[in-house]
Amino acid sequence: MGMEQAWLIPAIPAATAAVLILVGKYLPRKGDWLSVLAISASFVIFLFVLKDLADALASGGEFEPGRSGTDWVAFADFKLRIGFAFDQLAAVMVTVVSFISLMVQVYSLGYMKGDSRYGWYFAVQSLFAASMLTLVLADNLLLLYFAWEGVGICSYLLIGHYHEKQSAAEAAKKAFVTTRLGDVGLLIGTILLWRSVGTFDLSEIFAAVRAGEVDQAYLTASVILLLLGAMGKSAQFPFHVWLPDAMEGPTPVSALIHAATMVVAGVYLVARTMPLFEAADGTLVIVTVVGLITTFLSATMGLVMTDIKKVVAYSTLNSLGLMFVALGSGSVTVAMLYVFTHAFFKALLFLASGSVYHATDELEITQMGGLARRMPLTATVFTLGAMAMAGLPPLSGFWNKDELLLTVFDNQNVVVFLLVLVSVVITALYMTRLVLLVFAGEPRNKQIYEHAHEPVPAMKWTTVLLGVLTVFAGFVVFDQIGRLMGFPGGFGKFVFSEEGEAFRVNAGVTASSIVLVLAGIGGGFYFWWGPALRAQAAAQAIPRLYDLVRNKFYIDDAYQWVINRVVLVVAAAVSWYDRAVVNDTGVNGPADLTRFGGFLLKFHETGRMPNYALVMTAGIVVLAVIAFLVGT
Amino acid sequence: MIPLEHFLVVSAVLFSLGVYGVLVRRNAVLILMSVELMLNAASINMVAFAAYTSPERFIGIIFAIFIIIVAAAEVGLALGIILRLFRNRRTANVDEVDQLKW
Repeated sequence: MGMEQAWLIPAIPAATAAVLILVGKYLPRKGDWLSVLAISASFVIFLFVLKDLADALASGGEFEPGRSGTDWVAFADFKLRIGFAFDQLAAVMVTVVSFISLMVQVYSLGYMKGDSRYGWYFAVQSLFAASMLTLVLADNLLLLYFAWEGVGICSYLLIGHYHEKQSAAEAAKKAFVTTRLGDVGLLIGTILLWRSVGTFDLSEIFAAVRAGEVDQAYLTASVILLLLGAMGKSAQFPFHVWLPDAMEGPTPVSALIHAATMVVAGVYLVARTMPLFEAADGTLVIVTVVGLITTFLSATMGLVMTDIKKVVAYSTLNSLGLMFVALGSGSVTVAMLYVFTHAFFKALLFLASGSVYHATDELEITQMGGLARRMPLTATVFTLGAMAMAGLPPLSGFWNKDELLLTVFDNQNVVVFLLVLVSVVITALYMTRLVLLVFAGEPRNKQIYEHAHEPVPAMKWTTVLLGVLTVFAGFVVFDQIGRLMGFPGGFGKFVFSEEGEAFRVNAGVTASSIVLVLAGIGGGFYFWWGPALRAQAAAQAIPRLYDLVRNKFYIDDAYQWVINRVVLVVAAAVSWYDRAVVNDTGVNGPADLTRFGGFLLKFHETGRMPNYALVMTAGIVVLAVIAFLVGT
Repeated sequence: MIPLEHFLVVSAVLFSLGVYGVLVRRNAVLILMSVELMLNAASINMVAFAAYTSPERFIGIIFAIFIIIVAAAEVGLALGIILRLFRNRRTANVDEVDQLKW
């Protein structure tokens, strides 16, 4: 079992999804065990494949990714290939996807119990796992695009799981349409690259670009279009609007898709196509700017929102923005490290929120408070996740924040560095706020407080396991730990774009980040400890600004205006044209004309013999005259 | 001898009168009579050509005999139809027989 069998990793969940969709309702327990079994099998196979990769790296020499796959369509100069390539970047992604999928599916066994569409839920979960795994293992852009669309569909289906609820159906539609706009960019970018290089295969495209065969303007256009696709899926500004609304879906779905896996597909895409971004001048600057805008927008909004899942959603947007800043600094290593650690603590935060929601049936943090006394374990792991998010050492989140600051310090100008430092403070601030308002202090709603209880084992132990990983996962940056696991070194030596780096520290940067994190946490306590009077006073001091942020900067309203005044107007015009011109005139026209002609002609059937005799005679006379004239 | 054209003109005039009769007459029997007129006009035409172009052969005359035979048979049939029509609809007026219309 080696890298050539990597195709099994997405194939098993895909087959399971097909089985569950077709016959799932006839299986015992609607087939939930089959789904969990499939993803576990994927994970186990992945471990073997990873071992093979580690061995290949250890044996030295030039590393070639393990390839497998088959040509689907091949003629003349056109080839569609279902091909998989397993390299270090794919390894990190598969770790995240398969492990978090497994955790989420086990968690769902408890969370979704009793749901009316229980079987369908697990079928789509399997389908999502299959699509996402295909996406990260794909070796050519076309297969990647198919899988990209696949995860989009699964996201739509899962967000709209409670589709009887109007808001859920709307949210699913919003997510799909928004990411679709980005997907158009991805498709056109793919086609442009194919037209200039002649292949969809990624390694061939990179070789052609490195050899300088692609014109600079053309390459920049293609790269920006690919970036649009990444921005759509990873909810970067201005496509960020779908992610908070996507919280309408079941919480495990939020944990899997909108925290750990699908939303990092965009980050993965940029990381995978980094050679193109580096070759096209100026694109990395765009990536950085987009990431910074997203980070600040979402961090400020997370500070004032009161729905527990929405706050965590905004924190996801925050992290995604910073991942893009990492990519914009040219560092695939830091971005992937962020993806890796973020998956654990963000999934943990969502699943723990789900435990709270499941126990209290309430999402508004203004109704919570003091829940730590009733749900101590959940409170503990939630706090661990929140502190990891804030960047408190020695939790995993600290290591990737530190690496991020280091790479920004080295590769970007000082403005970007200062902005990232500010974002560190704001992040610590709102995460502390969340923890304090939900779990600490006095309960604000007695009923909610009485209801709160620890969740069932399936939910409890998955969150605990993620909690443990949140604490320890960051240590993979160290070379000693990496070598202990059989790799050539720490994370920096495993995933990289140009060459591997050993772990290093800049004392000044690290010290300032720790200070800022502590300052943020301290600020959180200052404003939100106890009855949170200082926070209320602060909000009342800047009412207009507060309202602006609370209304999500009116971006959603702006989009709705555009939809109402532009999109729907154009749609109405096109609809009129289709109905009046194409259908009524173009299609019905000849038919109506024929019928009318028939109507007019029928009147010559008078039934009166003299009429017929007259016409016959006249006709013969005319023919005779013509014959006479032609004959002469 | 009288030139051939005279016979042809007579034949044509008779034929035209016959056509006029077919088109104008309301009574079915009169239409039949006009048809007979047309047939006879054609006969005259045949015989005239026969006499003037090849008198030693009788092709035209034989043709005229055939016309008479066919005319007789056809009239017998047609009168039968007219009688039937009259018994069914109490009228021999062709203007009133227009049921097979739009």
